[in-house]
Amino acid sequence: MSTQPIQIQPLSQPVNIGDEVASFSPEVEAEIDGHLAKYPVMRSAILPLMFIVQRERGYLDAPGVAYLAKRLRLRITDIWEVATFYSMIYTQPVGKYHIQICKTLSCKIMGEPGITDHVCNKLGIRLGETTADGKFTVSLVECLGSCGTAPMFQIGFDYHENLTTEKVDQILDGLK
Amino acid sequence: MSTEVIKVNINSKEFEVPKGARLIDVCRDKGFDIPSFCYYSDLALQASCRMCLVRIEKMPKLQTSCTIICTDGMIVTTQSEEIEKAQRSMLEFLLANHPLDCPVCDRGGECELQEMTFDWGGLEERFIEKKNYAPEKYLSPMVANDPQRCILCKRCTRVCDEWMGEDAIEAGGRGANTVIGTYGGWLDCSQCGNCIEVCPTGTLLDGTYRHQARPWELAQTISTCSYCSDGCEMSLGSRAGELMRIVARDRYVNGHNGEFLCIKGRFGHPFVNHEDRLRTPLIRYKKGGKLIPATWDEAIRYTAEKLKAAAAAYGPDALGVVGSPRITNEANYALHKFATEVVGTKNYAATDAFSLKPFFDNLGAPLATHRDIRYAKTILLIGGEPEELQPLTAKQIRQAVSNGAAKLIVINSVPIRLVEHAAQFIHIRPGMENAAVWALGHSSNETTAAQKMGIEANELSALRQTITETEGDVVIMFGGELNAAAQMIVAQLANSFRADTRRVLLHPLPLYNNSVGAHDMGMMNGAMSVAEMLDATGSSIRALYVAGSFLPEHLRGREEALAKLDFLAVHELFETDTTAFADVVLPAASFAEIDGTFTNNDGLVQRVRQSIPPVHQAKPDWMITAALAAELGKDFGFQMSASAVFREIAERIPAYSGLRYPVLKDESNPVQARYNIVEPRDLSSALNELKQTVAALPDDGEKSNVTPRVGHELFKIGTLTDKVSQFHLLAAGNPRPDTVRVSPLYQITVDAKLERDAAVSGD
Ligand code: SF4
Ligand code: SF4
Ligand code: SF4
Ligand code: FES
Ligand code: FES
Repeated sequence: MSTQPIQIQPLSQPVNIGDEVASFSPEVEAEIDGHLAKYPVMRSAILPLMFIVQRERGYLDAPGVAYLAKRLRLRITDIWEVATFYSMIYTQPVGKYHIQICKTLSCKIMGEPGITDHVCNKLGIRLGETTADGKFTVSLVECLGSCGTAPMFQIGFDYHENLTTEKVDQILDGLK
Repeated sequence: MSTEVIKVNINSKEFEVPKGARLIDVCRDKGFDIPSFCYYSDLALQASCRMCLVRIEKMPKLQTSCTIICTDGMIVTTQSEEIEKAQRSMLEFLLANHPLDCPVCDRGGECELQEMTFDWGGLEERFIEKKNYAPEKYLSPMVANDPQRCILCKRCTRVCDEWMGEDAIEAGGRGANTVIGTYGGWLDCSQCGNCIEVCPTGTLLDGTYRHQARPWELAQTISTCSYCSDGCEMSLGSRAGELMRIVARDRYVNGHNGEFLCIKGRFGHPFVNHEDRLRTPLIRYKKGGKLIPATWDEAIRYTAEKLKAAAAAYGPDALGVVGSPRITNEANYALHKFATEVVGTKNYAATDAFSLKPFFDNLGAPLATHRDIRYAKTILLIGGEPEELQPLTAKQIRQAVSNGAAKLIVINSVPIRLVEHAAQFIHIRPGMENAAVWALGHSSNETTAAQKMGIEANELSALRQTITETEGDVVIMFGGELNAAAQMIVAQLANSFRADTRRVLLHPLPLYNNSVGAHDMGMMNGAMSVAEMLDATGSSIRALYVAGSFLPEHLRGREEALAKLDFLAVHELFETDTTAFADVVLPAASFAEIDGTFTNNDGLVQRVRQSIPPVHQAKPDWMITAALAAELGKDFGFQMSASAVFREIAERIPAYSGLRYPVLKDESNPVQARYNIVEPRDLSSALNELKQTVAALPDDGEKSNVTPRVGHELFKIGTLTDKVSQFHLLAAGNPRPDTVRVSPLYQITVDAKLERDAAVSGD
């Protein structure tokens, strides 16, 4: 069996899993305990806990994932499975303003592609990217339940509806 | 499943089936073909591929037969235009993102997706959309991954979870972007490769066999694993005298191990064709001199002369014959016959880590098979660490607990990984396993024993209660920690725990593939143990004839022992610490090159079959021994045939009586040796002896609270696993490449810096 040396090409976003486990203030720990107490099966608390870790750390970084695995007595891969399923859970750092453009049917028909192009061009980034100043991230998400006012996006938890390119300019320019 | 029978009508034919039977199984059993990807018996249901659709009368829409339990009077159609149309559409969707690159896929030729596409696929693709693209990569030194080929049946994630208890691989992302993978992209797991085995597509692939051969070029030979005592059946794939790969024997869960293998069985085979294999017999004509290549005739003649001279000078008992728990029953039988009938020495033994003789001599209940373990109601594990040392047993325990609601009770001084599945964990001080057995032997010992073990006495009574409340099978397992008296008591425990509704079965956990067989062939009946023989070299032992090498733990602290011998002859595959002292080295054939049998820890007598011709000038161990006997004037009458040796074994060893190779032919129905179950024994002297042992134990041992790392035994470098470069990576802690994309066109090789000390264990 002939063997040749390992050929390694760079991967865009290597994730480094260190041994570090995140820690939180007593208030946050108490909040987490409160959620854990609500569920008879421990792993059911995974989403509320993820939101807390994300709120505290910006996104689910490796120490945050390690913390969740430890608290919920799950493997890190279980956390990864859930985290990558939901678009509102971030596995990469996001900008201060996370623009999530709805790409599902109603919005698509009502002009989502144009809105997306406009946002990307205006900010100079591609989907999934963050501006160099760390302010904006753009991504596409599934239906946000606001089909009657399509096209729409959400920034943080705020809905912006019946979008036009002018309206997008207004909104983005207003964000500092 | 109950014995109650119900009627179902499938394709206008009436069938009687047991109540609770699953529709897909029933249809297949009755000869109706049902396509499926995600259904895998004895794993949690997934129902994601929707290939198994059938029409059931009075039910709206087509139904997935994998999720339906038959009910009385059910009327089922498995083939119709409607069903076929649905199945063809499903397959079209499954292929929507598939790269259709069978010509360069390692699975091509034995791929379920390919087969299914032949039967149900369209002639051309109607989707014109761009396919999802994802690069090929390695997930670990063992597991290669081409994410595009995945059909998301999630067999891999379920076996990893349910069989291995690892949860190492999962589905990430969502919808059409779902990929199978792991957090961080690198697998830190037990590297069993079962995810590869069950994958119906070319998504997960054997990283050690990338682009090495096509399946149709391989000759497949069914044989038995040569590593641990679980005795998994496997299929050796060889091409032109080279062993290319090993996969499990069986699709689905028939037979002994179904599609299960562990890292050693699946990936530990490159030693077979390794360039370091001994090429010819070697003779060291002068002590301290060099080993010089010789012919077989010369080597056999020289060995015979030397043995004869030693026997003449010091008497036959000065000759020791040493067998091995790694070699076949045939080989050990020949050695036993050589020792007793040719040399006439009472000093013979096998190089096992511990002897099971006290256990078998007092056997009070049948041995549990792995199937029994899967369906047991209560499992008591005393000492041992099956997840590292007998991985199939560990898998059966996990499934018994998670799919069968069995209660697992673990008595151990370390929180081994199986504790996660345990209903009760009795955390004892180190070295206290004998005390636990003493307490089990009689309830009056519980208080004293509990004190010694550093536990509460009610932990022991809770254990007793769990056992006595069990209806069904109780399996008692034990590792190598028990002494002779404790082994005797465990062997007799059934007498105190069995009841009308409760069977007690025993399951020893020896370390090697033929530990049980070496015992059965009588190699444990000699007057001295291996350690005692090594201590007596130069005095009462003058010459040794050894098949295989001594274990590192035997030689530790006895580095000078072999140098004191007048003569040492060794059968080996490689140069080892033992051959370093040998006067004659005889090249033996590996398990892939011979016919024979191993006996596993269930007492199953399993066939080893020749896959490739012996490499270089190697010969089967029993043939070498027979040649030596012939040179010393005794014809063993084996006529160069392994089956003749086995026939003699069956004639002389009562537990094997009536067995012949043809009887062992059907691997789906393995054959268990018939061990003698003894009448209840008087245990008072054994209990007394144990009492002394326990009293002498220190009562201040520190309990470890650290769960041992995955692979601390599995990935150990032994003389055989030393020949597999990937094991070096794993033994060095499975270092993550900084980036995880390794070009699939290249095999992984090991940086010399990673090579660690060899020969840590006896593999
Ligand atoms: S190799 Fe075994 S333990 Fe590792 S991911 Fe695959 S199934 Fe799980
Ligand atoms: S990797 Fe294989 S086994 Fe796992 S989901 Fe994909 S096709 Fe199924
Ligand atoms: S569990 Fe034991 S017998 Fe089975 S493959 Fe692994 S080492 Fe071989
Ligand atoms: S489709 Fe955009 S909100 Fe529903
Ligand atoms: S086999 Fe029934 S849905 Fe996959």
